[in-house]
Amino acid sequence: VFTRLDPLQRLLGLLAVGLLSLGLYLSLVQAPPDYYQGEIARIMNIHVPFAKVSLLAYLVAFLCSVAYLWKRSRAADYLAHASVSVGIVFVLATIAAGAIWGKPTWNTWWTWDARLVSFAILGLIMAGYLMLRAYLEDPEKRARYAAVLAIIGFVDLPIIHLSVRWWRTLHQPASLSPQGLSIAPEMMVALSVMLAGMVVLFVYLTIVTARGLYLRDELEASRIQRICEARL
Amino acid sequence: MVAWKDIRMEVRGREQITSMFFFALLVLFVFNFTLVLDSRTTELLMPGLIWVAFCFTGLIGLGRSFQSERDNQCIEALLMAPVGKGAIYLGKLLGNFLFMLAVEIVLFPLFVLFFNLDVSGRILQLAGVFVLGTLGLAALGTLFSAMTMQSRAREVMFPILLLPLAIPVLIGAVQATGGILAHEPWSEFAHWVQLLAVFNLIFVVLGYWGFELILEE
Repeated sequence: VFTRLDPLQRLLGLLAVGLLSLGLYLSLVQAPPDYYQGEIARIMNIHVPFAKVSLLAYLVAFLCSVAYLWKRSRAADYLAHASVSVGIVFVLATIAAGAIWGKPTWNTWWTWDARLVSFAILGLIMAGYLMLRAYLEDPEKRARYAAVLAIIGFVDLPIIHLSVRWWRTLHQPASLSPQGLSIAPEMMVALSVMLAGMVVLFVYLTIVTARGLYLRDELEASRIQRICEARL
Repeated sequence: MVAWKDIRMEVRGREQITSMFFFALLVLFVFNFTLVLDSRTTELLMPGLIWVAFCFTGLIGLGRSFQSERDNQCIEALLMAPVGKGAIYLGKLLGNFLFMLAVEIVLFPLFVLFFNLDVSGRILQLAGVFVLGTLGLAALGTLFSAMTMQSRAREVMFPILLLPLAIPVLIGAVQATGGILAHEPWSEFAHWVQLLAVFNLIFVVLGYWGFELILEE
């Protein structure tokens, strides 16, 4: 599956660069400063897309894990692994951008607020997933265990979020909510373009990573084969 | 049956319970030396301290719960037995749950004694919360213990997987325990107890389901 993706991959990469450049121009030049928070609020345009894509990454990992357990296809496993590897970078980027935004507005880099804690736990679950994979030798077992962990984490995340929210919260309500927009239309356009760009970037990076993982395994297999043949 | 086997083995060897108990005792002493505990801070911190001690003790016990099976290749024998994998999970879960509870039963009076806790008239409620919290930890712990059984760096991997996912149980248990120790009326913390019960149900179902996939050979 992964060998015939070259042109598509290049296209996605270029599209991500294009969308993100346009998005940055719109966010930094076109959109007006926020009424309350001034220029600082522009960081929302990377913070929110990072956050949404982190969640998307885990959703993709969950779906791929379900697909793996169902069909036992190696491609699904590579995609799940790649999606978490890329996702954890987005989680860290979300937290970093959020901290930079939090310092001037909340006067603190970090606070033990419900959303922040849930997000940090998402990062920890992803890290646990990657470590479990690294420590299991048998590839089939590794894929199966990782898939089970991803699914349990996916079911557990809303529970964690709920319990932490009941415990305490301070975060501003989400800017994109079904009840309607709480931001100006120009900002909305800029945010949407950034979001689209980030999603394409995520898809691109996930495909690249999954191919990398696949090729590494193939290389390993062919090397072992060569050693065996040399011995004979 | 699986639980019965584990219990019998434990009664004969007393390895797991003894190590869990002494570890818990040490945690208790470390709290005493590292934290400044006057009567006011004790009240604030105690629910958290109790659950940190229970949880860490649980980590010691749960993390090792499949070691004997692995060392003696008993897991293959268990799998060959004419029972479902789910039954093995429930048996292991019950065994782990009872071990943790046994340690808690001995440990908690020491907390009461050393830190002058006032538990008059609240023992039954506390016991209920301990049972619920321990069951939640054991449900996830038994599954992850099986999962990390064959990995390298088992001792490190187990808490790394368990702790983030067990956070709802810890929050619920600490809040409910805090409500009881502060002698609040039942209605003040009843929702945490209900929440704990729901979490447990979800975690036992997840564990049961996950275990069947983990032990597939």
